[in-house]
Amino acid sequence: MWLSILGLILGVSLGLLTDIRIPPEYANYLSIAVLAALDTLFGGIRAHLQQVYDDKVFVSGFFFNIMLAAGLAFLGVHLGVDLYLAAIFAFGVRLFQNIAVIRRILLNKWTEKKEIRESV
Amino acid sequence: MKKKVFSRFTMILFVIGLMTAIQFNTINEPDSRDTRDVWEIRQELSREKQLHSELLSEIGTIDETLEKYKESESDSPEQALQETVETLRKEAGLTELTGPGLRIVIEPSPEAVATGQNIEQISPALLIRFVNEINRFNAIDLAIDGKRLINTSPIRDINGRTTVNGEPIGTPPLEMTIVAGTFENAEKLYNHLNASPILDNFYIDNLSVDVKRPQKKITIEAYNEELELDHLKAAEGE
Repeated sequence: MWLSILGLILGVSLGLLTDIRIPPEYANYLSIAVLAALDTLFGGIRAHLQQVYDDKVFVSGFFFNIMLAAGLAFLGVHLGVDLYLAAIFAFGVRLFQNIAVIRRILLNKWTEKKEIRESV
Repeated sequence: MKKKVFSRFTMILFVIGLMTAIQFNTINEPDSRDTRDVWEIRQELSREKQLHSELLSEIGTIDETLEKYKESESDSPEQALQETVETLRKEAGLTELTGPGLRIVIEPSPEAVATGQNIEQISPALLIRFVNEINRFNAIDLAIDGKRLINTSPIRDINGRTTVNGEPIGTPPLEMTIVAGTFENAEKLYNHLNASPILDNFYIDNLSVDVKRPQKKITIEAYNEELELDHLKAAEGE
């Protein structure tokens, strides 16, 4: 787990230190990509906790979601419809659901552990 | 298996962190870009140059004073101090001042008189504008209707009357006296004012401005009120 957090810190510090900027008109795409990545991440954590984690699904989901979201946003810009809102909505809802599931699983685990300890 | 999962998570989190940081960088664009063109930069430069030369001349006078102090250290330091106080009082406008300058008479415009219109007081806004126009010239001392204008003098409306230094000025005709330091300066000011579009603004208020020819000797009154410097503090020495 600590390895993952180290990865996050490494990514953030690399991004901040190198001071990379993208043109402001692409900021939308990037924000959606971040959202998609977060969605995939929480989906992965949930799957891992539910013992149904699959490497291929996880990695392909990560890239596919990002591309789909960016594609939607791109299409939206060209059609004049804010389609990226659809992506934000979908990812947002899924994010909340996944986090809720993760919370429940963790709570269950915790109470179970407590019960076992008490029974012993 | 577990290790593999975490290595994947690490990878994904690394990418997320990177993207978030880039997004953060993008949103926090540099505060403001310098969009001035060459001309504006030149103006800025000339302003700074002027400031530079002013500071240099100030340094010159202070050096002179210092020199004077040094000279008179042996015989009479009191004398030098007195002189400094006197110069400072003169600069602050606390003494009567005589020198080359000119007079400006603000009077009701002939048209207004002919048509019998009410002559109103000159408005503070217009007066401030006019004073600012005059103050473009350096080393100017002026009095409006006998009220000496110093650095802290307010020009404002008090109960419907235009006041300078808190005292109401009269209705036109009234006189402004200006001491311009040198006669050339006074002449420059004369030409500048005569060509200045601000005189048209007086015409809107039914007033006309008569800028008299520069004279060798003009006297303006001393500032005759208490100087209120409650909010000033001595600068910290270095």
